[in-house]
Amino acid sequence: MKAFVYTDEGLERYAGRFVWLSINTEEAKNAAFLKRWPIPALPMLLVLDAKRDAVTARYVGGATVPHLQKLLDDAEKTYRAKSLSAADTELAKADRLASEGKNAEAAKSFEAAIAAAPRNWSKLGRTAESLMFAISGEPSRCATRALELYPRLKGTISSANVAATGLSCAASLEADKRGDLLSKLEKATQEVFDDRKLALSDDDRSGLYLALIEARDASGDDEGVVELKAEWSAFLDGAAARAKTPEQRTVYDSHRLSAYLELGQPEKAVAMLEQSERDFPDDYNPPARLALAWKALNEFDKALAASDRALAKVSGPRRLSVLSVRADIYVAKGDKEAARATVAEAVAYAKSLPEGQRSERRIAALEKRLSGM
Amino acid sequence: MKRLLAITLFACAALTAHAKLPFIEDDYAKAVARAQAKNVPIFVEAWAPW
Repeated sequence: MKAFVYTDEGLERYAGRFVWLSINTEEAKNAAFLKRWPIPALPMLLVLDAKRDAVTARYVGGATVPHLQKLLDDAEKTYRAKSLSAADTELAKADRLASEGKNAEAAKSFEAAIAAAPRNWSKLGRTAESLMFAISGEPSRCATRALELYPRLKGTISSANVAATGLSCAASLEADKRGDLLSKLEKATQEVFDDRKLALSDDDRSGLYLALIEARDASGDDEGVVELKAEWSAFLDGAAARAKTPEQRTVYDSHRLSAYLELGQPEKAVAMLEQSERDFPDDYNPPARLALAWKALNEFDKALAASDRALAKVSGPRRLSVLSVRADIYVAKGDKEAARATVAEAVAYAKSLPEGQRSERRIAALEKRLSGM
Repeated sequence: MKRLLAITLFACAALTAHAKLPFIEDDYAKAVARAQAKNVPIFVEAWAPW
């Protein structure tokens, strides 16, 4: 959003109506913020009421300019409102519960908000998307609700997220438990994908590709999977080629690398990432991604050299991911001792992180890996 | 839920340019003080340099 959305002139009129805060969740100095407002997924957009120390609106995911304008308009109305409708009250409660990490209770309130929603309620899309996020760990319910909500959202940007999340949930169900959820949600997702009137962001479209690939995979259509992955990769390459600045182009690096790895073409990532490393010499991401590409190419010394460059620049929770990849490189190289030492270093680092950044689950996973080495 | 990727593209920008909007970088206390003084809400983007 920094590269494409916040620079848009259509947001200038909001400049004085909000205080704008950017929180890099990898920065240790933001630990207190993260303790007060847990962030389970990124990016997370929040509108906070500083007087009441309360959340006014909450949205998980990237947004286009019109999407963000709507979020800001709705949030400002809620912030200024002397009283709220039943649906708005339930949504406010759900946002609060979700921001406290109480997903099950939040889901109940999102459902209550949808049940109380008047016709043409402007917040239906955001509420449905938030519900999907809250119940994404319950695949059957998530797929069923997506299919039920989709007709009410058709023609809106939210339909993309709801259909794709529902499809992904359906694809994760056992074949005998899917019924016709997979086929119906695949049809809905394809319908969103083909609707040229919808101003989908590249992010939205990439998400649709991912869900459609999962659906083909779940159906056992290997040929369809390869075809869609190739189409997805070409789409990302095209989007990167249209980027007007190196900043905009690098936004696509992560997904392009994933697509190349999925297609078994890691060599295609090397030149792209080397260019990004030259363009952004202080950014750990290009060398961290190069380490993955070189590993996939079995060029372990080059992978370790790239990992060295990334580790020289990275701190916070993301350093753990870089160390994990480094351990994987050593394992692939056959150097078990170095792999073990790297995981031990990751455990010690994970334990040293401040509250808000420290994750007990992550520590447990690393310790489990270490004990098995 | 199996996902090829659980991230969104726009989460992956290691950039700091906010040309049109006066973002405060990584200073919650400052944002709270300013919002209380102006009686406006705080918009927060929580992100990571992926």
